Amino acid sequence: MLTAKQQQRQARQLFRLCLVNGVVDERRVRQIVHRGVAGGRSGSLGVMARFLRLVKIDRSRRAATVESAVPLPPALRAQLTAMLGQRYGEGTATTFTEDPALIAGVRIRVGSDVYDGSVAGRLADLEARF
Amino acid sequence: MANLIAELEREISGAKSDVLKRTVGVIREIGDGVARVEGLGDVMLNEMLDLGHGITGLALSLDETEVGVIILGDYTVLSEGDEVRGTGKLLQVPVGKGLLGRVVNTLGEPIDGKGPIASDAAYPVEKLAPGIMRRRPISQPVQTGIMAIDAMIPIGRGQRELIIGDRSTGKTTICIDTIISQARLNREAEMSGDTSYRPLFSIYVAIGQKQSTIARLIAVLEESGALPYTIVVASPAADSATSQYLAPFAGAAMGEWFMDHGMDALIVYDDLSKHAVAYRQVSLVLKRPSGREAYPGDVFYLHSRLLERAARVGEQFGGGSLTALPIIETQSGDVSAYIPTNVISITDGQIFLDTDLFHQGTRPAISVGISVSRVGSAAQLKAMKQVAGRLKGELAQFRELAAFAQFGSDLDAATQAKIDRGRRIIELFNQPQHDPIPVEVQVVALWMVQNGHLDAVHVEKVKDYQIRLTEFLTSSKAPLLAAIGREKALNDAVTAELQTAAAQFAALAG
Repeated sequence: MLTAKQQQRQARQLFRLCLVNGVVDERRVRQIVHRGVAGGRSGSLGVMARFLRLVKIDRSRRAATVESAVPLPPALRAQLTAMLGQRYGEGTATTFTEDPALIAGVRIRVGSDVYDGSVAGRLADLEARF
Repeated sequence: MANLIAELEREISGAKSDVLKRTVGVIREIGDGVARVEGLGDVMLNEMLDLGHGITGLALSLDETEVGVIILGDYTVLSEGDEVRGTGKLLQVPVGKGLLGRVVNTLGEPIDGKGPIASDAAYPVEKLAPGIMRRRPISQPVQTGIMAIDAMIPIGRGQRELIIGDRSTGKTTICIDTIISQARLNREAEMSGDTSYRPLFSIYVAIGQKQSTIARLIAVLEESGALPYTIVVASPAADSATSQYLAPFAGAAMGEWFMDHGMDALIVYDDLSKHAVAYRQVSLVLKRPSGREAYPGDVFYLHSRLLERAARVGEQFGGGSLTALPIIETQSGDVSAYIPTNVISITDGQIFLDTDLFHQGTRPAISVGISVSRVGSAAQLKAMKQVAGRLKGELAQFRELAAFAQFGSDLDAATQAKIDRGRRIIELFNQPQHDPIPVEVQVVALWMVQNGHLDAVHVEKVKDYQIRLTEFLTSSKAPLLAAIGREKALNDAVTAELQTAAAQFAALAG
C-alpha cells in the first residue's frame, strides 16, 4: 500500500510525463489512465485520483472564459483568442458566453485571474467603496 | 467654443479606462477557522483575502496547488465553493495617536463602543524588525515605579524584558503598574510644560484572556487615569485562534508607528504562552508538521520576529523606541520548559516571580537571584546607581546568612548588622499594587537605608516609616526631590541637603 505522500509523488511524475512543450497531451493522459485502471496494482486508484486532480487543475488554469452582455463579433473573438494565447501561452482554450447581467463590457477569466471590465463589476466596486 | 469641444473630445478619446486584474479562487475545504482555497494564482504571503460576507482571510501557506487561508471572523457563514478574491494588500491595522484611550480587536476595529477611530494611517501587521544600522544602544530608563525593579533590574527604553512566573504571582500587575507609572509621568510633564521629557505611550495586548479579566483591567486603567495614554488590543479567549495569533503583531505595528515618528512606546504582551498555544492550533489545522510538545518548528521564529521589533532607533531615524514586556506563564516554576526557554533566550533579561515568595508576603514577589536585566543598567539614573549599585549582592549575602542564622543565635555583630539591613531592604521593596513610587522618592528611601537611618527602626515599622517619609518628602522637601530629578546624581550639594532632611525627619519622628 502506498502512503498518501508516495501517491502524490507518483501522480506528479505521471503528470510531468504528459507534458509536451509545457502543454498536457491528451493522448498520453488517456493512455496513462487506461493502463493505471487496468493494471489493478494496489494504490493505483489513489494515484489515478490524484493524477486526475492535477490534470483538472491544469485544465482550469488554461481555460479562458470571455463573458459579455451581447454576442461579440467574430473578428473581435479572434482578436481576443489570439491575445489570450499570446499572454497565457499555447493551449489556452477560450470559450465565449453571454450574460446580460453584465449590462455592458466584458469579463475575462483565465485560471484564477479575472479582468473585469463590465459595467456590473464596476458598479459592484463602487458599492464596495461606499 | 469649437476649440473647447475639440479639446474635450480629444481628452475623452485619450482617456483609458484601466481594467484591474484580480485573482480569484474557490474554497475547497473549510473548518476550524482555516480554509484551503484552489486558484489564487498570484497571491502574496500574508495577503488579505476577501471571502465575501465582509469576512477577511489571510493567506498563510502557499502550496503547489492550493492556498491555506486563516479566517478572521465568523467562518460558519462560508461554505465550500464560495469565491475568494485577492485584495493585493498585506494585512494591515490602523495606527496613530487616535487609537490612544481605545480598546480595539486584532484588526484595529473599536470594541469599546466609543465610535469610530480617527486614524488616517495603516501599518502592515508583519513587518521586518529595524536592522543593525538603524539601532542605537539603550540609554534612557523606563521608570516602572516599582522599587525592586527600578533599583535592581532596571529597564531601558527599547529593551525587551520578560516577566515570567506561575499563575497568579502578579505578572500582569507589574505591567499594569508600569503603564500607570508612565501615564503619571506623562501627565506631570504635560502639566509642568516640561518639553524635555519624552512621553512613553503604552500598548497592552491581551491574548486569550477571560473577558472579565480584561474588563477589570480596563477599569483599573481608567480609574488611575492611565487609559488616555494606552491602547488596549484585546483578543479574549472567545476569539478564534487566528486572531489570538495575530493580536501581538497588530499591537507591535501600532507601537512601531510611535517608534517611527520619534516617540517612545511600551508594549505588554499578556501572555505569550497562550499565544504559542493559539499558533500551535492554527498550525495543526493547517496540517503543518509538529515538533516538540506539538508546537510547529517555527514557534521560536514566531516569538523572535515579534520581539525583535522592539528597538531603540538612532537620532537620524527619529530616535524613537519600542520597549517590550512579554509575559510567560510557567507551570509550577519550571523555567526550563520549551516556550519559557525560547523567550528567555530572545529577551534582554527576565523578572522571575516566585510563588513561595508571593505567599510569604513579598509583593511584588520578585526572585532577585534569577532575575536579570542585561542592558537596562546603562539607562539607570546615576543617583539610583549610587544608592542601589551593591544592592543585589547585599541581598544575596543576606539570604545566605539568614538561612545560616536559622540554626543558631550566636552571631557576631557584623553578621547581625548585615541581616538587619537585609530585612529592612526587603521590607522597603514591599509595595501595594497600582501605586507606583516616583524614582526620586525611591532614591531617598534607599539612601536612608544605606546610610543607616533605618537601623533604629523596627522591621515591622519600616513600611510605616516609609509612608511617613514619603509624605514628609512630598509635602516639605519638594525642592530636594526636584534637585535629584534635575541633577540625576547625588553630588555633594544634594548629599548635604539629604543629610539635613534626614535629621529634620528624625527630629519630627522623635
